[in-house]
Amino acid sequence: MRIRNRSEQKRFRTNWSTTICAALLAFMFIIPAIWLFVGSIRPNNEILATMSTFGWDLIIPSRLTFENYYHLFADLGFGAALWTSFFTSGVTVLVGLFLALLAAYALGVLNFPGRSIVFSFVVISFMMPFEAIAIPLSQVFTKWGLANTYLGLILPGIANGLAIFNLRQYFMGIPKSFRESAKLDGASEPMILFKIYLRLSTPGLINSALLIFVGSWTAYLWPLLIVSENHLQVAPVALARAFGEHASSYGQNFAGSVILSLVPAVAIFALQRHFGRFEWGSEEK
Amino acid sequence: MEGIVLTVHSGIKESSKRRRHFLAKKTEYFWALTFLLPTLLALIVLRITPMISAIYSSFFIAYPGGIRPAIFSGLENYRTVLSDSDFIATVERTFLFNLVINPLQISLSLLVSVLMVQRIRFEGLWRTLIFIPVLIPIVGSSITWQAILQPDGPFNSLLVTLGLKPQLFLNSPQQSLQSITLIASWIGIGYWMMFLIAGLRSVPSEIYEAAEIDRAGPIRVFFKITLPLIKRQLLFVLVADIVANFVLFAPIQLLTAGGPESSTTLLIFDAYRTTYGYGSRNLGATKVVILSIIMICFVALQFSFLREKKVKEIE
Repeated sequence: MRIRNRSEQKRFRTNWSTTICAALLAFMFIIPAIWLFVGSIRPNNEILATMSTFGWDLIIPSRLTFENYYHLFADLGFGAALWTSFFTSGVTVLVGLFLALLAAYALGVLNFPGRSIVFSFVVISFMMPFEAIAIPLSQVFTKWGLANTYLGLILPGIANGLAIFNLRQYFMGIPKSFRESAKLDGASEPMILFKIYLRLSTPGLINSALLIFVGSWTAYLWPLLIVSENHLQVAPVALARAFGEHASSYGQNFAGSVILSLVPAVAIFALQRHFGRFEWGSEEK
Repeated sequence: MEGIVLTVHSGIKESSKRRRHFLAKKTEYFWALTFLLPTLLALIVLRITPMISAIYSSFFIAYPGGIRPAIFSGLENYRTVLSDSDFIATVERTFLFNLVINPLQISLSLLVSVLMVQRIRFEGLWRTLIFIPVLIPIVGSSITWQAILQPDGPFNSLLVTLGLKPQLFLNSPQQSLQSITLIASWIGIGYWMMFLIAGLRSVPSEIYEAAEIDRAGPIRVFFKITLPLIKRQLLFVLVADIVANFVLFAPIQLLTAGGPESSTTLLIFDAYRTTYGYGSRNLGATKVVILSIIMICFVALQFSFLREKKVKEIE
């Protein structure tokens, strides 16, 4: 569909006035992000000095410096928080993918009575925004001694309804004959899942991995509730803390925001290049 | 003689086939259960347990200090919460906020998406630029916008340059929720745009060509053709947006703490503050239960759209 549209676009004349509208709109969206980025690589006091008058120096620094980044890592220990975030998100993706694979295979490929009811129940429960349940869950976890542990940080992110939904959709597009002929050759269900379905669904897998990763990487409320000790703090909460204590130290706060944004951005654009377009929801296929 | 042998033989074959079929079904059920077990376990631990714990907790009243045990009080907490005019105001504010922000975000996303599928140059670039705010974690975007909306920040300097009066934004009870709406929409519009562009692209181009031959104007085409054809995607995105905005938490906790004058106290922040700020766990649990009931309705609605859309696509 897209390809046909493209070729049609070539046949038609480019509409320049619409292009200018689109460019202006894109500019409006990107300018706060540019300001954020420029602020992170200019001297801290310059941000405050230039922001009250509207002019070019708002986004053109007098000199480039990495002192904000240096300050963030050397004085505020942002590196430890970043590591906690990386570790937490990495484990969450691995365990979450495994869970989603098994569930998607059971709900999309295998047949058993009550399958559609179980499917609806699972997806609805996990589509319920986690924030709604975070407060009572943190009390339950605290009772179980999971406060201030990696396990406590990781567990809530492992079950992702959209990842299950996406993978199931992907699995349902794989011809049933593959499984049937593998079964005739004596393959068991786990073998069919890991040798055939897993290999045929790389884009779906990458998609689900990104969904789980971004969910875990940007999580704020949950780590805020379950971790109180500084050494186990994830990067978004550490940044929020730094912001709470030094709201006007724009430079370091901007630098932290840039780093937090770069990680999912690089992941998405790199994987998109290798595996085709990344779809946020369930629009693919 | 031969005939009899044959029937007996095929009878054995038939029953062993059925037996094998039965066995195959049994192994399939076994694997289905095994594969679902971790997810069902996660469901019980991560969703059902906290829900039951919140419902249970909402039926008790604890005494400060925690020396005397909490006593069962039935629906007393619900009576307290629902007769609290502040809480009712919070619920109303949350609904009003959602009534404004969701249609606003979705209609703006649709407008942007429609623009993006026109015959324009560098559409990938513009789309990426609009999408970039989505990649900034909400803590980062909150920090950025807090600086932008400072009394002497860049937004006000722009207003002054344009000959307008500087505004208070987050510091004014009248503008604080609007400022939160602005921040959330800066992120949300690009996010929902990605869904809507996919929806717009799925409309067969023959339909547009036919409309062109009939000399239908662009506005007529939009309302008579595009809108009805992407209705389902639009509804899905709208409900998904409602679900997301109902639990909008980080910018409020970071930038306004519910104020000024409770103007940004939304349900999720109120439940958080009641539980942790005021230490009233039972009342907090009551509010969580009320929020969850509202959420479940919207999620069920969202799921039905998601599902119907898929069924339609498979057909």
